[in-house]
Amino acid sequence: MADFLEFQGVTKRFGKTIAVNHASFGVKKGEFFSLLGPSGCGKTTLLRMLAGFERPDEGRICLDGKDITDLPPNKRSVNTVFQNYALFPHLSVFDNIAFGLKVAGRPKDEIESEVEKMLRLVQMEDRADHFPNQISGGQKQRVAIARALVNRPRVLLLDEPLAALDLKLRQRMLLELDLIHDEVGITFLYVTHDQGEAMSLSDRIAVMHAGVCEQIARPAEVYEAPKTSFVASFIGDTNFFDGVVSACPEPNYCRLSIGGFAEVLCYNDKQKAVGDRVNLSVRPEKFRISVDPPAGAAPRLNVLRAKVEDIIYSGNHTNYWVSVGERRVAIYQQHLAYLLDEKPIRWGDEVWLSWHADNGYMLDDSAPVDESLLPPKIPQNAAAAGEAK
Amino acid sequence: MTKRQHEIAITAPSLLWLALFFAIPALVVLAFTFHGHSPDGGVGEWSLSTWREIVDPDYPAIVWKTIRISFEVTVWCILLALPCGYAIAKMRSKWRAVVAGAIMLPFWTNFVVRVFAWKTILHPDGWVQHCYFSLLEARHWLSAHLPGLVARALDGAGIAPAEPPDPAFSTILDSEAAVVLVSVYTLLPFAIMPIYTAAEKFDFSLMEAARDLGAGNLRAFTSVFVPGIRQGIVSAVLMVFIPAVGSYVIPQMLGGTNCVLIGNKIFMRAIQNRNIPHAAALATLMAASVFVPIIAAAWWRRYQAKRGRRIVEVRAARLMAGGTK
Amino acid sequence: MKRSFFSLAVLGVVMAFLYGPVLLIFAYGFVPNGASMSFFGADGRFLGFSGKWYSLIFGGHHSVAPLMQSFWLSLRIAGLATVVSCVIGTTAALALHRFKSRLQSVHYALVYTPLVMPDILIGISLLMLFVACGVDCGFWTILVAHVTFCVSYVTMTLLARLQDFDDRLIESAYDLGAGPWYTFFKVELPLLLPGIVAGGLLAFTLSIDDVVITSFVNGAGTNTFPTFVSSMTKHSRNLPAVFALSTLMLCFTCALVGVSKALSRNPQNSKRKSK
Repeated sequence: MADFLEFQGVTKRFGKTIAVNHASFGVKKGEFFSLLGPSGCGKTTLLRMLAGFERPDEGRICLDGKDITDLPPNKRSVNTVFQNYALFPHLSVFDNIAFGLKVAGRPKDEIESEVEKMLRLVQMEDRADHFPNQISGGQKQRVAIARALVNRPRVLLLDEPLAALDLKLRQRMLLELDLIHDEVGITFLYVTHDQGEAMSLSDRIAVMHAGVCEQIARPAEVYEAPKTSFVASFIGDTNFFDGVVSACPEPNYCRLSIGGFAEVLCYNDKQKAVGDRVNLSVRPEKFRISVDPPAGAAPRLNVLRAKVEDIIYSGNHTNYWVSVGERRVAIYQQHLAYLLDEKPIRWGDEVWLSWHADNGYMLDDSAPVDESLLPPKIPQNAAAAGEAK
Repeated sequence: MTKRQHEIAITAPSLLWLALFFAIPALVVLAFTFHGHSPDGGVGEWSLSTWREIVDPDYPAIVWKTIRISFEVTVWCILLALPCGYAIAKMRSKWRAVVAGAIMLPFWTNFVVRVFAWKTILHPDGWVQHCYFSLLEARHWLSAHLPGLVARALDGAGIAPAEPPDPAFSTILDSEAAVVLVSVYTLLPFAIMPIYTAAEKFDFSLMEAARDLGAGNLRAFTSVFVPGIRQGIVSAVLMVFIPAVGSYVIPQMLGGTNCVLIGNKIFMRAIQNRNIPHAAALATLMAASVFVPIIAAAWWRRYQAKRGRRIVEVRAARLMAGGTK
Repeated sequence: MKRSFFSLAVLGVVMAFLYGPVLLIFAYGFVPNGASMSFFGADGRFLGFSGKWYSLIFGGHHSVAPLMQSFWLSLRIAGLATVVSCVIGTTAALALHRFKSRLQSVHYALVYTPLVMPDILIGISLLMLFVACGVDCGFWTILVAHVTFCVSYVTMTLLARLQDFDDRLIESAYDLGAGPWYTFFKVELPLLLPGIVAGGLLAFTLSIDDVVITSFVNGAGTNTFPTFVSSMTKHSRNLPAVFALSTLMLCFTCALVGVSKALSRNPQNSKRKSK
């Protein structure tokens, strides 16, 4: 069965750069779907093509079985919540929300009751006659959502709607967005560069990079089973280990020989054979380090000796950087019972590093990783770099 | 309607109007300079006679005088506008708007009427004239009471003339000084505004940083504030210099026969002598003397932008070199 | 903060310099003797202030009739030039803002150059055009000349406003189902109106103030207020009437600007109070 909203091989070029490269995916009716990626990855272009502000160079966009690729924006039953709200400064909150209904030529009393209903939904009843410059950022956000929703669009497009809000407000609006989505049951297409927003709101996420949708999956799957090194490094932090399969001691598990590091056991869901190159991602919080060796050797546990290079205490957890052979590994360790069951770990300590084979995940690619997305490293040649200036 | 048709539809009115009444007339002026002058007040045959006549020593002298006076006016305006712009930018935002408005307010009275007011102020029986004459007398007194060598040096520099001032030829009205004074008066707001706008965006904590690093007040002003608002100063110079070069009413009403500038000559040739080719040639010379500073400013801006980009490039390259080592 | 005191002092002197002549214009509108332009009689006696110049103006006395005639002509030309240049300037600014093509870079150069040309060059070149075409100078040539230099100012004023204009508002209107015309009249025009009014005000002032260009293209016998005044001699007996009329104009423009500021400041607030 065809999906409610479908992108079929949509491509958009701006001059020589390809903003969106053959995007093909479907969104189900009522779904909260996010496009996640760094700035310039093409997510906003994709959204603008759906809204009708840009025309794709190739491919079709279908909504509920109808091809809407060539319709102008004012003839599409989708509405947008713009990044900086784009509220009309010369119209009151009420008139802003009523704009779409007035354009559609609805009778006056119907407009009034619909707008009242929306004002109640976004809790702005007492601000109806205020002007956009008289209300706060969070309130503007709600008006923008109400202004789009009042037209009962088939898809609501949200373009980084929370980017301009401060942290606390963002968290509150996140919750409210979720409630509004549950209430109205309209399909939401949400564009963001903030993985936290996408993870906490979405039913499914499409992670985009350089115009390509790298992975489309549920939030947990995107985090725990990233397909590519980009997805793994963009969403959360991770450690990459590239190695060669050296043995397959049991079904679904293989031994991996990682240059300058060690030989480790890992889950082999990709059915790699001996001699294959593998790019392994292990999340920092999947490691445990301890001064004493891990008690009661569990099966398939990798245990290595490591030296602590750096420690950053962050309240609910501590970030450690340890060296194993020639490698540095980032570790985030929660303090389950600080100082009670753990011996304190200090700079330069020799420690035990352990993780379960199931917690390493093989990536599809071995693409070079963008340095800026890796956990921060202390540059060893800081002094040399300073001199170069 | 396609996008292109839409573009043409809204571009056409202004484009056609300005082409017809601005660009074509400019070409007509240029064409007329290559015509002779016919005695009936019209335009004669194609010839280079006009350009030959224009090298008459009278004309280059007038062009030079116009540029010199415009330069004087510009220097005075900038010197006065710098502290004014600084003072306004330092005020609280509520006061800024009020003072900036107050500076423009006198300009809601008619230009000609304001010049007439100056004519009344500079009247030979007025107090400004008395002060001016006293100043001339003081200079002469200085020359008479100084030791011979110094007096002669100052006489030569024109600071303390040995000759006593002659009341008949020492009126401020109908002198170059009056033209400069009133030109500064009419153009000063146009110098203050761009400097103030630039100063408003200036980060005054840089001044504090300069003082913190040991600079005195004046040093901080000249080596941090002035370079910081240089774009505004360039705009101010253009805003003053261009109208000053084109000025015609002020020298005519206040300069008398002592201060005839290109503008007056153009008007004389065009309206009074009906020598259209000469007027056209003078207008071309004026346009040239205006375009030189404009092009210089544009070139300077481009150079600044390029240099800015170059600095960024060099810094980025250094950072990357440091980072990838 | 010594520097600040010095710059404030300079500012004070400059303000006095700027306002001195204006105060003189105001004062000499009340001078009792138009021939001597003095408040004192031949014997040095103070003659007091006189309102006779204002009564001449308001009474329509024949001695000030040519002055008033030139004044009304100026108003007519300035009004018409403002309307025409606002229409042309608005389309020009929209074109320059919306499109980035080679045509627009030519267009921009054409709009920008008159701003950096001395007035007198615009005047002489238009005169030569009219001479070349054999057009008689008069009301229409003055109007054409005024529109020509006002268009550039209106366009630039509006273009600066458009730079702050959030183009997403237009997208937003389309997104909510509005067509191009609805968007123009309900979203763009109301938001640009303050800019158009500001540009129009500038055009009006420039037109009513212009003497240089007008004196080239006015032809014989057609005098606007500024050219009429500049043709008066120092010894004209009606000079105080000119000063009185200027004072009236200044008061009127101040009132106009004050009212428009008050209206544009916060329409929202005044509306809220009335509710």
